[in-house]
Parts: sequence; C-alpha cells; structure tokens
Amino acid sequence: MTILENAQKILEQINETKDNFQLALKSVKSKNDLESVRLMFLSKKGEIQRLFSVLGKLGPTDRPVVGAELNAFRAAAQSDFELVQQSLLTAEKIKDFDVTLPGRMPIVGSLHPLFQVLDEIKIIFTEMGFRVEQGPEIESDFYNFEALNIPEYHPSRDMQDTFYLPDGYVLRTHTSPVQIRTMENQKPPVRMIAPGKCFRKDTPDATHSPIFHQVEGLCVDKGVSFADLKGIVQAFAQKLFGQEMRVRFRPSFFPFTEPSAEYDFSCIFCKGNGCKVCKKTGWLEISGAGMVDPAVFGFVNYDPDVYSGYAFGMGVERIAMLKYGIHDIRIFYENDTRFLNQF
Amino acid sequence: MKVTLNWLKDFVDISYSPDQLAQKLTMAGLEVEDYFAVNRSFKGVKIGKIIDCTPIEDTDHLTSCLVDIGDGRVNVVCGAPNTKKGLVAPIALVGARLEKVEITSRRIKGIESEGMLCSEVELGLSERAEELMELPSDTPVGLDFERFLGEPDYVFDVFITPNRADCQSVIGIARVIASISGRQLRRPPVPWREQDISGNNPVQVIIKNSNRCARYSGRFIENIRIKASPFWLVERLFNVGVRSINNVVDITNYIMMETGQPLHAFDYKLLQGDKIIVRTALKDERFTTLDEKEHILNEHALLICDTVKPVALAGVMGGLNSEVQPETSTVFLESAYFEPVGIRKTAKELDIFTESSRRFERGVDPNGTVYAMNRAAQMMIDLADGHIIGKAVDNYARKINPVNIDLNIERVNRLLGTKRSMQDIAKILTSIEIDVVKSNHDMLSVNVPTFRPDITRPVDLIEEVAINLGYDYIPTNTVACINQLQTPNLKDKFRDFMRGLLVALGLRETVSINLMPDKYAEYFLPEKTGLVQIINPLSADLAALRPDIMSSLLTIISYNRNRQNDTCRFFQIGNVAWKTEAYVEKTHVAGILAGKRTESTWFGKEETFDFYDIKGLAMSLLGKLGIVDLTLKKNTVGFWDSSSVAVFSGKEYLGCMGKLNDQACRLAKIKINDVFAFNFDFDQLFRFARIDKKFESISKYPSVPFDLAIVVDNDVPVAQIEKFIWSAAGSDLIQVKIFDYYTGDQIGAGKKSIGFSLTFSSKERTLDESSVEQSIKNILAHLNRDCGAELRPR
Ligand SMILES: [Zn+2]
Repeated sequence: MTILENAQKILEQINETKDNFQLALKSVKSKNDLESVRLMFLSKKGEIQRLFSVLGKLGPTDRPVVGAELNAFRAAAQSDFELVQQSLLTAEKIKDFDVTLPGRMPIVGSLHPLFQVLDEIKIIFTEMGFRVEQGPEIESDFYNFEALNIPEYHPSRDMQDTFYLPDGYVLRTHTSPVQIRTMENQKPPVRMIAPGKCFRKDTPDATHSPIFHQVEGLCVDKGVSFADLKGIVQAFAQKLFGQEMRVRFRPSFFPFTEPSAEYDFSCIFCKGNGCKVCKKTGWLEISGAGMVDPAVFGFVNYDPDVYSGYAFGMGVERIAMLKYGIHDIRIFYENDTRFLNQF
Repeated sequence: MKVTLNWLKDFVDISYSPDQLAQKLTMAGLEVEDYFAVNRSFKGVKIGKIIDCTPIEDTDHLTSCLVDIGDGRVNVVCGAPNTKKGLVAPIALVGARLEKVEITSRRIKGIESEGMLCSEVELGLSERAEELMELPSDTPVGLDFERFLGEPDYVFDVFITPNRADCQSVIGIARVIASISGRQLRRPPVPWREQDISGNNPVQVIIKNSNRCARYSGRFIENIRIKASPFWLVERLFNVGVRSINNVVDITNYIMMETGQPLHAFDYKLLQGDKIIVRTALKDERFTTLDEKEHILNEHALLICDTVKPVALAGVMGGLNSEVQPETSTVFLESAYFEPVGIRKTAKELDIFTESSRRFERGVDPNGTVYAMNRAAQMMIDLADGHIIGKAVDNYARKINPVNIDLNIERVNRLLGTKRSMQDIAKILTSIEIDVVKSNHDMLSVNVPTFRPDITRPVDLIEEVAINLGYDYIPTNTVACINQLQTPNLKDKFRDFMRGLLVALGLRETVSINLMPDKYAEYFLPEKTGLVQIINPLSADLAALRPDIMSSLLTIISYNRNRQNDTCRFFQIGNVAWKTEAYVEKTHVAGILAGKRTESTWFGKEETFDFYDIKGLAMSLLGKLGIVDLTLKKNTVGFWDSSSVAVFSGKEYLGCMGKLNDQACRLAKIKINDVFAFNFDFDQLFRFARIDKKFESISKYPSVPFDLAIVVDNDVPVAQIEKFIWSAAGSDLIQVKIFDYYTGDQIGAGKKSIGFSLTFSSKERTLDESSVEQSIKNILAHLNRDCGAELRPR
C-alpha cells in the first residue's frame, strides 16, 4: 500500500464519519441521545480522536493536508453538537414557561362615559358645520329668561325650576343663553351648538338631578325652515344610533320657539315595536326643538322678516342612559371606579 | 289636567278607542301623560235596602241593620250616622274585595255581621267618608253595583303647556278633538234667555282699574238649599282630582273644569251694601282667605270688595268672611276676566296657586264669562233648588275683541318648508274656529277668537297651521346648504386635547354635582372672596357653588374609599365660582392621586404615591402643552399642605400641586391623608400653551453619554445644580437625567450625593472624547465654585 493510497483511505473514512455524525445528531431526542453522540464521536475515545491517531502513520506531504481536513471536521462537529445541545436546553425551559401569568399592565386612564357621549354628539354636529360655543354657568336673568322670551311674570317660568342667586342672577337652566350671546356677537349665518352643564331645582332620584348636561343647537340664515329642522334632527339620530332610526315630531311649547316641538326617536331597544322601556309606544322621548321665535330675534337685532332659524336641544344624560342601558342618573356623578372602569 | 272620556263625550262624539285618543291628543300637542280606566272592581257589591234598623246598646253610633239584597237578607253592623229604615245603599257581601278591605263575616258586640254597607270612600269613588252612599230609592234591590254605575269611564291626564289657555277645560279639549276628527263641538245651551228674566240686578259693580279687571259678571240665585252633591257630580269631580264640598261649591268647580272659567260663589247675606267694588289693595292691607290664612298684601293684589270690606282676593281665592255656609240661602255668583300678569304676580308673591289662579294667569276667555255663569246658575236651579232673581250684572269695562292678523301664505310655506295652497291653509284655520274674513293674492286676513289669547302674530298662526297639518306631513330636508367657512372653537379643541393628554397620563375623567354645603365649600374659598349661595337651595347639602374643584375631587376619593376602591387617579375639568363685587367664574383643570402607585404583584412590591408622582404628572402635562419657563414656589394657600408648591410660567400663576392638608381630608371624610393633586387655571394654560409645534432636526451623529456623581451640601436644590450644569456645559449638552440620589452614612451628615447622567451630541460633527472631557471639567469647576460640589469618591 502506497502512502497516497493510505491518505486516500483516511479521507474516505473522514467523510464516512461525517455522514455518520450528522445522522446520529439528527436522531437526537434527549440528553441521553446527545451524550451517546458525544461519547461516540467527540470524546477521547471517540471516532474523531481515533482518526487523529492514524494521522501519525502518514507521510510528511499528506499529513498536513489530511490534518487540516480533520481539524475542520472536528470544529464543525463541535459547533453542530453545541447547537443541538442549546436547542435541547431551550426546549426544556419552554416546557416550564407559564404564559398564563398576568402581563405587566400599563396604567390607562379613561374618559367619563357622559363625556364620551358628549364628544360623539359634538363630532356629529361639527361634521355638519356647527361650531361649538361655551358660556357661563352663572347667568343673568336677562340671558337665561328675558332674552329667550320668558318674561318674569309668565307661567312658562314654571316649566323650569330655577336656582336663584342674589342680584338677579340664576344658575343657568339650559344652555340657550349661549345662543343669545353668540347672536349678539355674530351676524347670520349662525350655525352653532352649545354643550354644557345646566341646573334645575329637581330633587335627585333615578331620573332627576340638580345638574345635567345639555347640548343646544341653533341655525339662523335666510330661508331656514321647519323641514330643515326635521332634517338635521333625523341626520343626528341616524349618525348616533344607526340608519334605521326614525324621528317623530310632536307639537309642544317653548317660549323661545314658534312652532315648537318635542322630538322622539324610534325605540332603540325594540326597533319601534313597543317594549317596557318605551312604554309600548315604540318611541323614546328625547327633547325639544322648534323655529326661533321672532321675539328672540328682536332681542339680538336680527330682522325676522329676513332671517329665520331653528333651535333644538338634548339631554346628554338621557342619551347616555339609553346608549349604555343605565337606569339611575345619579351613578354618573358618583364616579365610582368600578363604574368608570367599564368605559 | 285631568279629563274623563264620558265628560268629553258630552261635547263631542268620540269614536276613537282610549289608546287612539291618547295618541291623537299627544300628536295634537296635548301630551297625554297617563290614561287609565276608572277602577271599578266591585265583585260582590250589590244594591241593598235597609228593612230594619236598631241601635246597639252601649255604643254611641253602631246600628244593627237587616238588609234586603234581592235574593235574600243579611244582617250587618254599621257605624254610619245615616242608617235608617228604607235607605238604599251599596252593600259589600262576605267575600267581596274592596280597595282596602276584604269582607269577612264578623261578630261585633255579640251581633253577627255578614257584610258592609258602603260609603263612597270605601268603594274608592270619592273622598266622602262619613255617610253611607245614599242611592235613589227606586234603585232595583239586588242589582250588581257595577251595573248600576253604568259605562266605565277613562281618565286622561293631559299635560297642558302654558300657552294653551284654551285647553284648561273639558270643552277646550273637546274642541281639539272635534277639530282633529272633523266633528262638531256641542255646547249645551242655557234653557232661558236673559230678556225673559224680570227684575233688575240688586247690586252695582264698580271696576276701579279696568286694566286689571276687564269684565265682571255676576248673578243672584236665591232659595238655595246647601246639601251634598249627587253621586254623578261627586264622581266626576273625584276622577279629575277635585274634592266634593257641597252642591254649590261643587257646581262652581264643575263649571270651571268644564268651561275653563273660574267662578266664585259668595253668601249674599255676608255682603254689605249694594255695591261690588273691584280695586287694588292698599299697601299692607290685611286679608284672610277662605283657607283661614291671613295675608299682608301690597298694591299688586286685586280685591273684590263690598261697600265696607274686601271679600275676595280676585282670581286667586275667596275670603273667609263671605264663603258659602251650610245655612247659605242666597248666592252671588261671580264670573270675571282678570288680567293674567297681575294674577300671576299676586299668586307668586303670596305663594297661593289655585285652580282659579292657574287659569287666570294663562288667560281665560273674556267673552265667555256670561255663558259659564249661566251654566252654573242652571245647575244651581237643578241641584240646589235655586231661583234666579233679577237680570245679570255685567260690567264689561274694557272690551276685548278678537285679534285681527294678516297672514302671508308664502311666509307660511317658507317657514315650514311646505307648498300648501291658500285654500288648504284657510281650511285648516277655519277648522279651529279662526275666522277667515278676507283673502286676496297671497294674504289671508283672520280674526282669532278670544279664547286663544296665545295667537297674536302671524307666526302663531303658522304654528297652528303646522300642528293641524300634522308635523308628520311637513317634509324632512336633509340636504342643507351650509357655510363652509366655519372656524373651529380653539378653546374647546384645547380642552379636548388636554382631556386626551390626561387620559394618556393614566387618569380617569370625572364629573361632579358642583353644589355643596356652605360649611364645606367655605374651606376651599380663595382669600377675600365670598361663596356663591343659592337663595332657594334644594337642601343645605346643595346650597353653595363650589369655589374650587378640589372640593369635588376629595369627595370622589372619599366616596371610593368607602367602597374599598383604594387606588384613585382622577381628573376633572369644570367650573368653579366665588363672589367679590361681582360673580367670578373660572374653569379649573385638576388631577388627583391617592393610594397605591403600584399594587403588590408577582414581579414587584406595592408602592404608594408621593409628591414626585403628582409632580411628574403635572410636569408631563405642562410639557406636552408646551408651557415653558416654569418656576415652583413654596405654597401656603388654603387647603394645601406646606410641602406643596405653586407653579408659575414666568411671573404668571398657573396653579398649585403637591399634597393636600389634613384638614381638607378630614372635611371630606378621608381617613388617611395620602392625597396628592394638581390644580391649574384652564384659561391660564390656554393662554400660555404652545401646541402648534415646529419640527427640530435630530442629530445624524452618535451621542456621547457621561455619568457624573457629585457630593454637595444638603440645602442646595437639585434644580439649581442642574441649572449650573447647563450653563457650564456648553452647547453640546442635550440632556440631563438623575440616575441616583443618596443621603446617608457613606458620605456623611449634611451632604447628599447626586448621580447625573449627561448626554452630549452635536448636529455638526461626531464628538471627540477631548471635547466632552473639557465640558465635564468646566462643569465640575463651576459646581465647585458656586455650590461647593465635589466629585463623589469611588
Ligand atoms: Zn321599545
């Protein structure tokens, strides 16, 4: 046997060992399997070491060539072995990892449900070209009543139980005074909503509260009609509660509108078929609306022969109660975290 | 106002079911709030006749009655004063269930009682309680009581808006029904004519102030016998909520309910002289109304007087000195028109609101006084054996005529968004008894009857057209032409932006009833201001407007603590108010923290809030709002703890933050004071906020971090050291953070160690080590010179 033949033979053995090693590594399923692979190939008495011992028998030209090949094989085998060892360890760790432990919760705040509804109402109306206006909660008798065509000795004052303050002031009973303030400062066209807190002398119970929130809207321009009012209220109802909503207008009376109306939404619970909430009528009373009374225009120097307008109101609590299925208005003002957490 | 179906049917034919009628009235603007069948569950109640009646010994009022009930006889013990042989009355037999009692067989004073003879109250028919209900003697004995009463009636409770003076009567509501159903209204005629009555009226009516009393009509009825009203009258009044008194008073009430015209019956014997004088009261004049209350009047009050004394407070209530008595035999019946505002003033000032004042203050029909008076007179003839003497008195001092209005048809259609013809509109108006007197081109000229005082202008007529057309028949226009140039309300947007920030900072939005007890509110008042107090509060707990939003937030913490909701993070934006010379109203933005910053978890221990939590929140908020140049000063104001601070932007006060004091917590009933808060003036934040941001370029070169630990005297504030660092470091310093803060043994008493983590960066170049080292050297030298700081030894 020549030296060349010998070297050739060892190289063949190396390749064979490589294949065997890969096969053995692939079939490793456990730590024990892995240990057998180590013993068989990588230990001092293993296959690779055995091949190194044959190296001494080669001639000086072949020895470095085969030696390099063998060294490369040993390094690669060691690295492959460690990879498998690592993945075995990881698998073992994952087996003990409990994903059901609770996560680290970030602290989150929340908007009050009443104001979430108010925000929605504001968005609907600003989309339809209404500007948001604000005004004071302490109002003069003039803005809260007189300028709204509610003279001092008129029975319509009884419609709103009022908290009076000294010196001719009141806590506003509606946000309508904001309409007067806006019209005083702006010529038509006017298209505004006034959201805000209002006060009525109502003894607190499930449906009454001495404070509540209202959104009032006003639109004044040339040729504004009752048909436009019906349109805007209908659009609002459908944007808020969905396309199938219907609106009903009934005659009513407010000193600052003529004609005046109460408007109802088709019952959101029974789709208008009649249920307990709507008292079998299929309708839910929402609030009042109407065409601005010419007397009101008189107070703000708008010419009633040129301009006409509509106004409408709504109670935010009422809508929020319907939307969320809340039956007691007082829960809004308690601010119980168990309540606020739900929204 | 309550009306009954059968009563309405006296004036108009109604073919609607009660459900339909309620619906129709509601859609015509007369909102039916409730309607129900009059309760007549009288199973086991029959008509009985007393055939024998003996008083029971040793009792002062009990009698033993033998009663014929048609198919037999029963014995009952009865306590009513009017038991007598031959009396016909309803009897509830054993087993009958009445509103309050179930009838059983009982033994009273040793006598068997097999039922109960009934009064009207026991049957739930009226409030008459003392006497047995006496039925006509020819009523068939043994008949079921229910059948005796006839057709069941329905009560409708109708909400009458203040403008509909005409609907404060059964006839008024019947008129509306007639118009919506296209039927004729029937008004029962009075069966005699004035000119057939002989004799003159015995008194003269003098109206001193015709502005207050436009018309005063009166009539004398003599030979009156005051007695109980017949059952049908009592029942009708009872069903609409009026208590029966006696026949004469009941008749005046009945006609008022029917026609809307308040009437008053005087006992003529108690009037002195031959004049009725209508005049305003003198200042401090005293008058006692028939409810036995004495009133001190002013010049607003209108009085009806005889020649020596006032006898009625006009339109409000009669006087005690002239009311109808059991022995009254001659009645002077008043039917007048008083001006609404005057009656309203008097009723309000004296706080007496009566069925009469309610009608006058809305406006009765000045041309309806005589009809109502004569209807009542006729009933007094029928039910009180009365006789009319002399012609009626009728002083119509200031004639009130129908109002004439010109109505432009184009204007009707323009305001309503309709396209109705002149004929359509004229027809609608005619159907509600408005006379169309002329029409040309596009104008209608109409006369409005005086029972509709609410219709004075074209727009009032347009409303009538709309109502009678039906709101459902007015089109719905969803295509509006709008002005695209509507600028947003920046302040409102700012408010919403800030609400978003506060939620992102982990706070929950709240809303409060901003009314509170005086005592509590006072503690939160700014110096030298007064509370805004309500003149007529609901209760002492809701008497003052809050002067500071913290008063509300503390209440919310307290409420949650009482319900074991221990950790609280809230904010609120809302108004507060106080009084100096004028009312001052401000908007506050406040946040509050109480309890645990973190609860105990599987990865960490619980931690409680401290000053730096609230400071961090407040500073994040102000930072995001772009409010700069902030300084903090020790705060000594009111309800804040001495460890709290006031916050300024430049010289402008923004608000406070820190811990609240123990007294404030105690007042809010919070047991453990772990409450931290901030409170800013909304308008100040809006003024100084810069939320229109500009982009600042970010350096392309790597930044260089450098940690620096120094030791310094305890009394040198960190903020000051930071300031020195910034001023000494040169322009490449971009960030200073504090990674360590230590006081204790390792560095000795009176000293503290602070670890600063500095970041250097340049937008022009990569920083080399030497330039950073130079900066650090400068910083250390500066700190050493200005506050004696040393590098902390390792
Ligand atoms: Zn329903």
